[in-house]
Amino acid sequence: MEITLAHYLVLSGVLFAIGLIGVMRRKNLLMLFFATEILLNATNIGFAAISHYYNDLTGQMFAFFIIAIAASEVAVGLGLLIVWYKRTGKIDLDIMTSMRG
Amino acid sequence: MEIYLYIALFAPLVGSLFAALFGATPKTMLTGIVASGLLFLSLVSSAILLNYVMMGHTVHVEMMTWIATGDLYIPYGFVVDQVSVVMMMVVTIVSTVVHVYSIGYMDHDKGFNRFFSYLSAFVFSMMVLVMSDNFAGLFIGWEGVGLCSWLLIGFWYHKESATWAANEAFIMNRIADLAMLIGIFIIYWNIGSLQYDVVFAEIANLPMPIITWIGIFLFIGAMGKSAQFPLHTWLADAMEGPTPVSALIHAATMVTAGVYLVVRANPVYDLIPDVGLFIASLGAFVAIFAASMALVNRDMKRIIAYSTLSQLGYMFVAAGLGAYWVALFHLMAHAFFKALLFLGAGNVMHAMHNELDPFKMGGLRKVMKGTFIMMTLASVALAGIYPFAGFFSKDLILEAAFVENHYIIYAVLLFTAGLTAFYSFRLVALIFHGEERYKLFGIHPHEAYKFMLVAMAPLLILAIIAGSFKLSYFELVTNLLPAVEYHIHHPMTYWMITIGTQLFVILAVLLAYKKYASWSSVPDGTSKLENCFCYKLLSNQYYIPKLYEELFSKPYRELSRIAWKQIDLKIVDATVDGIANLIYQTGEKTHTMQNGNLSSMLRWMVIGLVVLLVLAVAFTVGYNAVTMRAM
Amino acid sequence: MQEHILSILIFFPALAAMLGFIVHKDSARAYGITVAAIEFFLSLWLWNLYDPMTSGMQFMEKAPLVAAFGINYLVGIDGISLFIIILSTFFTMIGIASLTETRRVKDLIITLLFLEMTMVGVFAALDAIVFYVFWELSLIPMLYIIGAWGGPLRIYASIKFFLYTFTGSLVMLVGMLFMAYFYYQATGQWSFSILEWYRLILPENFQLWLFAAFFVGFAIKVPMFPFHTWLPYAHGQAPTIGSVILAAILLKMGTYAFVRFSLPLFPDAAVFFMFPIAILAIIMIVYTAMVAYAQEDIKQVVAYSSVSHMGVIILGTFALNVEGISGSVFLMIAHGVVSGALFLLVGVIYDRRHTKLMSEFGGLASVMPRYATIFGIMMMASVGMPLTINFVGEFLSLLGFYKQSHAFTLVAGTAIIVGAIYMLSAYKKMFFGNVTKDENKNLKDVNRTELLALVPLVIITIWLGVYPKPVLEPISNSVESIVQLMHDKAQTKEAQARIPDLANQGAMNSQQETH
Repeated sequence: MEITLAHYLVLSGVLFAIGLIGVMRRKNLLMLFFATEILLNATNIGFAAISHYYNDLTGQMFAFFIIAIAASEVAVGLGLLIVWYKRTGKIDLDIMTSMRG
Repeated sequence: MEIYLYIALFAPLVGSLFAALFGATPKTMLTGIVASGLLFLSLVSSAILLNYVMMGHTVHVEMMTWIATGDLYIPYGFVVDQVSVVMMMVVTIVSTVVHVYSIGYMDHDKGFNRFFSYLSAFVFSMMVLVMSDNFAGLFIGWEGVGLCSWLLIGFWYHKESATWAANEAFIMNRIADLAMLIGIFIIYWNIGSLQYDVVFAEIANLPMPIITWIGIFLFIGAMGKSAQFPLHTWLADAMEGPTPVSALIHAATMVTAGVYLVVRANPVYDLIPDVGLFIASLGAFVAIFAASMALVNRDMKRIIAYSTLSQLGYMFVAAGLGAYWVALFHLMAHAFFKALLFLGAGNVMHAMHNELDPFKMGGLRKVMKGTFIMMTLASVALAGIYPFAGFFSKDLILEAAFVENHYIIYAVLLFTAGLTAFYSFRLVALIFHGEERYKLFGIHPHEAYKFMLVAMAPLLILAIIAGSFKLSYFELVTNLLPAVEYHIHHPMTYWMITIGTQLFVILAVLLAYKKYASWSSVPDGTSKLENCFCYKLLSNQYYIPKLYEELFSKPYRELSRIAWKQIDLKIVDATVDGIANLIYQTGEKTHTMQNGNLSSMLRWMVIGLVVLLVLAVAFTVGYNAVTMRAM
Repeated sequence: MQEHILSILIFFPALAAMLGFIVHKDSARAYGITVAAIEFFLSLWLWNLYDPMTSGMQFMEKAPLVAAFGINYLVGIDGISLFIIILSTFFTMIGIASLTETRRVKDLIITLLFLEMTMVGVFAALDAIVFYVFWELSLIPMLYIIGAWGGPLRIYASIKFFLYTFTGSLVMLVGMLFMAYFYYQATGQWSFSILEWYRLILPENFQLWLFAAFFVGFAIKVPMFPFHTWLPYAHGQAPTIGSVILAAILLKMGTYAFVRFSLPLFPDAAVFFMFPIAILAIIMIVYTAMVAYAQEDIKQVVAYSSVSHMGVIILGTFALNVEGISGSVFLMIAHGVVSGALFLLVGVIYDRRHTKLMSEFGGLASVMPRYATIFGIMMMASVGMPLTINFVGEFLSLLGFYKQSHAFTLVAGTAIIVGAIYMLSAYKKMFFGNVTKDENKNLKDVNRTELLALVPLVIITIWLGVYPKPVLEPISNSVESIVQLMHDKAQTKEAQARIPDLANQGAMNSQQETH
């Protein structure tokens, strides 16, 4: 069986769904980060696959951008997380409601 | 001659401004003297102009532009012709007399200076009214006299009744002024000018309905100023003002402005005899209607006011029937004797410490001889007894009605003449004859200042001899007005009618004397007469003021409150606030979404994403379907 | 300097306001009066330079702002805007001179000077965007004046004022953008210049939509029924100076904009909407006059009377002939003078008694005779007494509309009756009768500062009532060109019939004269 574009896209979709569910269900901030990484990588797979399919490097270039941005996001995010943990000793999402409207 | 015109016109204004300078300071005799002197100057100028006009000239000046825009051009233009010069003479004579008289009458009043300022301003407005050469200028004077009338009726502003009457007069006049304004609009849009000469030259070329409308609207305007039914109630209430004001404004001059307007616009009314007939009928109705109210009234000034109303009715009969010169003649004669009557009443009021009920007087002829003679003679003139002024002018109106074959009007007027004689002498008898009932109230009457009586003398003379001017007057005004002579062809009929009228009138006088000359008690409302329906109807002025109060004033007040409290606040404003609140409430309700919990926010985000995706798909599918079909 | 006089007039007060921050607060008043007086004399000089015989725009200045979209700083005046500008500078001067406020005077004066800039700017602007910017900017100082120096409900009133007028203006802005887009479509060029828009002839259905969009903005500003309810609150809460400027100038922006935008841009739509608007105007006249009659607070009487008079102005504007529009523009000036004076007068008594309820007064004529006299003159001007300034405007407005509809004019003419009713009864309540309250027995009559503000207003009221020509003539010349433009642009039969053709009519008249 040859692996076609559809397979990649299905994989991307499944990963995206997992990431989305993780984003919605997880209460742990660290887990949330994992979930967003999954989301981003799901799109990366999509980009790379379609880029290959069309023989157009733009998509793969975009995927690298996303990887770079995700890395910096995690760096800043983890930094904030550690500060938050030092302050409160918890990384539970439900107690982070200081932005209540 | 122009200089005399300007002097006649502006001397009163100068007097008014001069007196106004001292408006807030205590009484200075100077204001009264200067104002009267300037009015005398105006009178002299008017007399010179009269002489000039009698030689067959007219003076017409255009001072400057007032309003000019588009095709509209209204100048300050003044004309002294045969009609306006007569009015000028009447106005200046009566007002000079009233001014001099007021120096005495207002002697003890704190507002002495203010009074002269208002009074002279009134004369100025009246002069503008009669001298203008266009309808807009007339309207300036028209509103000006209204304003001065408001000021003067409410002169004693601490009195609730006076200020109420002032407002009533102003507002009622305003109703009529609106009609007058509309009349002016019709004239402008159909003729393109408001100048009398242009309008009267062109009027015959207009279609009939438009002329009729012009006539009707102008007449409604006249009805307000001249207090014709149904806009009459203000005149009696206006008697709250100082008595010289009543003499000048509410008897001799301002209220006759309506008659002047109809006379001035005679080329219009000549074309619409139906409206003329309506005017005459209304005039006749008002004549008898007002006279009937005068019969039972117990307020000296109101009785004279009703009599004025009734005489105005006579004038409108004459004007409506096309006898413009007769109307103007009666206007002139009436001005003299009615002003005299009012000034006499002023003397009595002074003597009686502002008591107005003639039943509380009686026997005053002993202490007030001069006043007694003058008022009696004025009443004789009013009753129209030969050879006094009233005979010549009023009889002419009766003749005019007779000759024109309007026998109903004639009969009404004849009967009214009897009523007039009756109530006039009822008043004279009650005041000057009979027992001295005032003693019951501890009043010590005294005659007025000598110079006040002297000041009244010219009016007395004119009230007696004005009739003898008839021929020269006729020659003068018929240069401008239709020269219709009203002669009853059959001499026999003529004499019968004239002598019959005289006898009827004299009978009425005697009746009044018989009934009232020996009156001895003050009625207290318990007698049978006072409780009968007719008496109550008449003494309550046919319940018309009450009716107006119930029908217009109260509902208007109530409606205004509803408009404010119910409509403006509860509907219009509440709607606006409602919309604002709706937006605000939406925010209030949905702000729980912003609970600060990251995970629930993420959920909302996902939901939003899904909704957007669905919408995007739906729109794409829909758009494609539409374009496919279109292809 | 002459060619830049308009820019100087617009930006001098703003500059002076900026400098005002460094002025010591004790000398702020003197500073304010000086600046306002200079500005006023500059505007008088403008009048002196103005050529009354020319009907077009004068003193035009142009500088590109956003060239790609045709947005220019474009200003200029004609007879219509000239006098409203003078009125603005005059009232700012009078207002500052008669200021009795003691709280944070410096801030107030800076705000007023800033407001003056926006007012002059609105009336001088000939570019829609510049117009819009000044139009919106004028809200901010007024919001501040009401919100900072107002009465107890000041926050509610100022926010209502702001949001209401702002909402309307946004709709107007959309209309402006569309108008510019249509212009782009027709000519291939972007332009926001009103004068260039004038040349564009739009199809009738476009006109209707754009007219409606502009109408929302203008009608709320006027304010027309049923959008008027912000006004009583604004007046009720505003300090005297705020009410004076609001009534005298800011309301005129709406009616001015009708003459400047709605009529010449959309003549067919103006004719189409003439009767609906006339009905609104009549409701304004009669209904608000009744509401005014029911008021217990003298300031509210004057506030509602403003709405009532604005109805007459609207009616005159939509008469669409020279008589009516000239009358309405003149009435804008007249109403500015008279209502401004009335608000000043209300301020005089409020300063003394700290109440505006009429039931608290009575018999003031004997205590304060000079005050009563001036109030009386202004009241009579307000009810339209001939030989006062208001009469000329009301007469011409009603006369103009009579050409369009007889019945409507008859109903609208009741303005002179209902106006007399509420004004006279208010005057009676305040000034006539006996002094019943002890507090009123020793009230001081108007002092010299107050006279300084009031006497010029009385003089203007009578001078322009007796001799309106210096003002009416330039107005009339400019209005003639607008009416002619409208006639030339009119496409529908009805519009052509209802808007007079001055060019041909003039020719006909001269023909008649030669015969």
